Amino acid sequence: MEDMYHADRAMSTQQDIKIKADKVQVYYADNHAIKDVDVEIADKTVTAFIGPSGCGKSTFLRCLNRMNDTIDICRVEGDITIDGEDIYDPKVDPVQLRAKVGMVFQKPNPFPKSIYDNVAYGPKIHGLARNKAELDEIVEKSLRKAALWNEAKDRLTAPGTGLSGGQQQRLCIARAIATAPEVLLMDEPCSALDPIATAQVEELIDELRQSYSVVIVTHSMQQAARVSQKTAFFHLGNLVEYDDTDKIFTNPEDSRTESYISGRIG
Amino acid sequence: MKTSLLAADARTKKRNAAEARFKAYGFAAIIVAMLALLILLTSVLGNGMSSFRQTYIALDVALPEEKLDKSGVRDLSVMSKVTTIGYAPILRNALLDALAAQGIETELSNKDIGNMISKEAAATVRNKVLANPDLVGQTVSFDVLASGRIDGYFKGRVTMESAALDGNTSPEALMIAQALADAGVMETKFNWNFFVWPDASDQRPEAAGLGVAILGSLYMMIVVLVLALPIGVASSIYLEEFAPKNRWTDLIEVNISNLAAVPSIVYGILGLAIFINFMEFNQSSPLVGGLVLTLMTLPTIIISTRAALKSVPPSIRDAALGVGASKMQSVFHHVLPLAAPGILTGTIIGLAQALGETAPLLLIGMVAFVREYPAAYTPESGLFGEASTALPVQVFNWTQRSDPAFVERASGAIITLLVFLLIMNAVAIYLRRRFERRW
Repeated sequence: MEDMYHADRAMSTQQDIKIKADKVQVYYADNHAIKDVDVEIADKTVTAFIGPSGCGKSTFLRCLNRMNDTIDICRVEGDITIDGEDIYDPKVDPVQLRAKVGMVFQKPNPFPKSIYDNVAYGPKIHGLARNKAELDEIVEKSLRKAALWNEAKDRLTAPGTGLSGGQQQRLCIARAIATAPEVLLMDEPCSALDPIATAQVEELIDELRQSYSVVIVTHSMQQAARVSQKTAFFHLGNLVEYDDTDKIFTNPEDSRTESYISGRIG
Repeated sequence: MKTSLLAADARTKKRNAAEARFKAYGFAAIIVAMLALLILLTSVLGNGMSSFRQTYIALDVALPEEKLDKSGVRDLSVMSKVTTIGYAPILRNALLDALAAQGIETELSNKDIGNMISKEAAATVRNKVLANPDLVGQTVSFDVLASGRIDGYFKGRVTMESAALDGNTSPEALMIAQALADAGVMETKFNWNFFVWPDASDQRPEAAGLGVAILGSLYMMIVVLVLALPIGVASSIYLEEFAPKNRWTDLIEVNISNLAAVPSIVYGILGLAIFINFMEFNQSSPLVGGLVLTLMTLPTIIISTRAALKSVPPSIRDAALGVGASKMQSVFHHVLPLAAPGILTGTIIGLAQALGETAPLLLIGMVAFVREYPAAYTPESGLFGEASTALPVQVFNWTQRSDPAFVERASGAIITLLVFLLIMNAVAIYLRRRFERRW
């Protein structure tokens, strides 16, 4: 298992740059939450953001699909580009951006609708399916990718909120990938799940890497080590260190990274 | 010092005593409230249930051609020249015949016997004859209204003693009535007409009904629902979901809360000034009443809708935005359906409040005496523009009249109003249960 990961990592460093952040600053009113973050996120790679609570990793993640727009007092400066296009350009419609950059949240939050409707909602509002058959196909494909198809195929009309926590989170992942995004953002997707569900989701994340650029925020360093190829360590709003996951966990350059990983700060 | 768990210390005793006292106060408060409710219901039901029953006399009325249609050609324009004054003697004769047929003898004058029949009865019979002129010349069975005093006798309101002091009836008349009732000619039965007939004059409590008031209230509720629900919900959605949070929206929010507390009569003055004096809508019309009640209900609806929208978990909004829904799609596809039970409940409670509101309607003239059913639409008066009255105003009106028979009518109207309110609240509860979804 470990060997396979190493092999993958060696390959992944060759990937193209998908997201590029340059001198990003985020303010909540007067509070300077993100300071001077420069990061380049590769395509078809899992990138983990780690760091102590309140270090800004979730805030930065939410900058990547402009979910921070919904917070009135939040202000973002600097450049964030996806495929070379500035996502904070006034011409960019955040709705279009979010179809391209899917998001999975900390707490599973399926809509109080059927499993089918949960997954079909995104494709419907973006007009990705021309008819019911195509929509059915998208739903099945998404549920299969999220490893939920076998459990859900006989109860597609059952409410999504009736699933177990782990199933709900996989449903949310299916919902996020149903709109055919290019980037998938995950904000502590396993923090509300038990170890078995966590393992399933992690396995899923590893498979999703084949098609998407995945960015995951996590509090669990073991999780970061297990699923990611690149790791970024945030501390007090600064991006302290960003490198291959191997390197961060075995031979960090910054003393703060080392302290955090070894459990001395956090 | 070592303390035992088996003996409560002074501090614990004091705390327990305080808790016991608090429970006792609460219990006492509930008891007082239940007693008040019981007294209210007994009083209203005791006074009002009898208004749903009414005394009728079954008479075989000969409709003589020489009196009702001298020309004999059944021309309505000629026939309508015979007024109710012409019909009254016919009914009196029918009653006299009935007395003779039952072998009831009396010393009462024919006029006093005629007074046992309601003055409204002549008009009812006349309308039936004019509606169907072929009846003339035949003998037709009619259930005619007995007068208010006779009706009151069968309901226990009028007694032999009170009749002896009463200029409008006499103990002899009551004895005849009793004899007629024993013979099955006179009967007190369910009074469907109470819900159909319009108001009647002071002299004819037995003919007074809630028809116009119910229709007027219904029209007003339609106006309120059609205006207040969309406006209220739309403004709540805007304020809660779209409006920037700044000093202006704070100001608006404070003002909406204040408007909810403004005395309703103030809305009446506002309606009088704007809708009647300035916009020149017809006074007493359900349109103006509905507009005034809309203004009054809006703050209630807005406040409850905003509370319902606030209670939708933000994770649902995040989820919708996260898959690329626009703000409006996230509100209309996800937030609004989840808030619907709360919105519906708030709206129905607002409507119920509007249905029972009296004060503003007095100021816009809905207190008028209205005998004609208001049409929903006429070219002259527009939609809901004809003079009408409303249920609570009808209660107010009837309680001001001198004849004790109107006390019964007013209580009957109160029961009707309460039943409507109960139905609306039941609908609110049903809708909330029906649409409530867990997430």
